[in-house]
Amino acid sequence: MTEAAVLALQRALVEAALMPDPGPLERDPGGFAAGRGLSEADQAAFRRFKDRLLVYRTLVRGNLVEPVEWVCRVTRALLEPSGAWDDCMAAFLASRGLQSAYYRDVSATFLGWLAATGWGLDRWPFLLHLAHYELLNALVARHPGAGPDAVPPGALHPWPRLGDVLVLDAPGQVVTYQYHVHRATPEAPVPGPGTVHLLAYRDAEGDTRWLELTPATAALLVGARSASIGQTALDLGLEDLSEAVELLADFQAKGAIRGFRPAPARTGG
Amino acid sequence: MAFHLPTGPCTGVGLGLREPHFALAAEANPGVPFWEIAPENVIGDGGRDHDTVCKVLSRDPVVTHGLGLSVGGFDPFDADYLRQLAEFLEFTGSPWHSEHLCFSTVDGSATHDLLPMPLTRASARHTIRRVKELKERLPVPLILENITFYAELGMSELAEPDFLAEVLDGADVGWLLDVNNVYVNALNFRFDPWRWFDRVPLERVVQMHIAGHTQAFGLTLDTHGAPVIDPVIRLMQEVLPRIGRPVPVLLERDNAIPCLDTLLEERAAIQEAYDQVVAVPVRRSHD
Repeated sequence: MTEAAVLALQRALVEAALMPDPGPLERDPGGFAAGRGLSEADQAAFRRFKDRLLVYRTLVRGNLVEPVEWVCRVTRALLEPSGAWDDCMAAFLASRGLQSAYYRDVSATFLGWLAATGWGLDRWPFLLHLAHYELLNALVARHPGAGPDAVPPGALHPWPRLGDVLVLDAPGQVVTYQYHVHRATPEAPVPGPGTVHLLAYRDAEGDTRWLELTPATAALLVGARSASIGQTALDLGLEDLSEAVELLADFQAKGAIRGFRPAPARTGG
Repeated sequence: MAFHLPTGPCTGVGLGLREPHFALAAEANPGVPFWEIAPENVIGDGGRDHDTVCKVLSRDPVVTHGLGLSVGGFDPFDADYLRQLAEFLEFTGSPWHSEHLCFSTVDGSATHDLLPMPLTRASARHTIRRVKELKERLPVPLILENITFYAELGMSELAEPDFLAEVLDGADVGWLLDVNNVYVNALNFRFDPWRWFDRVPLERVVQMHIAGHTQAFGLTLDTHGAPVIDPVIRLMQEVLPRIGRPVPVLLERDNAIPCLDTLLEERAAIQEAYDQVVAVPVRRSHD
């Protein structure tokens, strides 16, 4: 046997595990092997071990689906009654898009696949929003924190001034959904339509928290990261600047905002 | 040239460190001689559980046990991952890094499972070359674990112990001997585990694994989801004197994980069984 034959065997086993329909392997394991260029001796081994190769299929698939089910509980509850969850997982696994060595990346890969393929969006137009919300809920809690390029803590102060910009805590995210995904539950998994702005952040206990924001507050949290709080508030037409400052101070106290620092000077040209 | 055995601060019976026990383990070491951790579950992660486990890893003796290198695969090793792994190995002070004698990715597609290598000479040659490359790129010795497998992948040219010996000797690496995997394979393929041990290079054993298994699909599955059964403990007791050194043993539990106290009781019972035999003189073969 050559090393090319070793690779062909490995490819055949992974295909047997991830292809949507196990029928070809179940009905004719020798033919399945022959179709993948395997030798007659290897075809015989596939016939001999057919049932056990199908056990591998069950184990591999269960292993890959488990983290998605753990993270996307509402999405699963939405799709499972109609049998669509299994179809969704089968299509995801068949895409073979998972490349990361990190098991925790399976769910993020699933979301990327959902976004790239648009799977199920014709029937459930909110599906991507819902899965995104569920994934973000998991990722915020385990975000690795500020990287080496982060603003050092000593450069930040805890109370906002109008000339400051804000620095979100590293796991924090301001997101906008077109459906009320934050109100969906496994018991009531269909989110109502309507734009919703949310702030996801990690609290002092390490848990993910969500705050529903007004459109103006969401815009302030986004805008005041690069322009001063005062300028951003004026641009947004906020009349009571002290209210905006108090709001940001409250977010800082909750842990959603890491701190404040003077806005960088504007340069011309 | 004689095999150079890596050594380290890990002795006795250790315990796999799993997320439900991070907080209790971080409070104070509950009498566990060493922990084992999967780097893939820590590297690049963050948050409360990550901070907690890092406290344990920086305080107690640790060995690392990898899941995703796909040692027998054909995809190039991920340079970024190897760099992160090297940093992690230095952080933990692990005396060696173990991986599985298997493949888990093909053409960039990760299965996150431990899939069996074809038991052929070409497969062994290929794996030896890959292991030698990994040895060059890791800051600590690499050791390989014998896996549980449920089907032979293609027509075998070698029996499993001969394939194992060929890879370990050819790559000149240490062996993480999983006695539960030997036991499970013996049940599924109907062979005598005692005779199996006659054909493998026990002088290369650096560490051992012990775990529980489950019956499903008409097979015995290596689930790490049940307490270790007595025959597996006896197998550990039989092979330790044949190894002739008190190599560290690690109790694995990855599914249906009980409370830490229950696992500590199981660890203590295995430690007792271990202590009964580590002073026994070496026997060269099973009587």
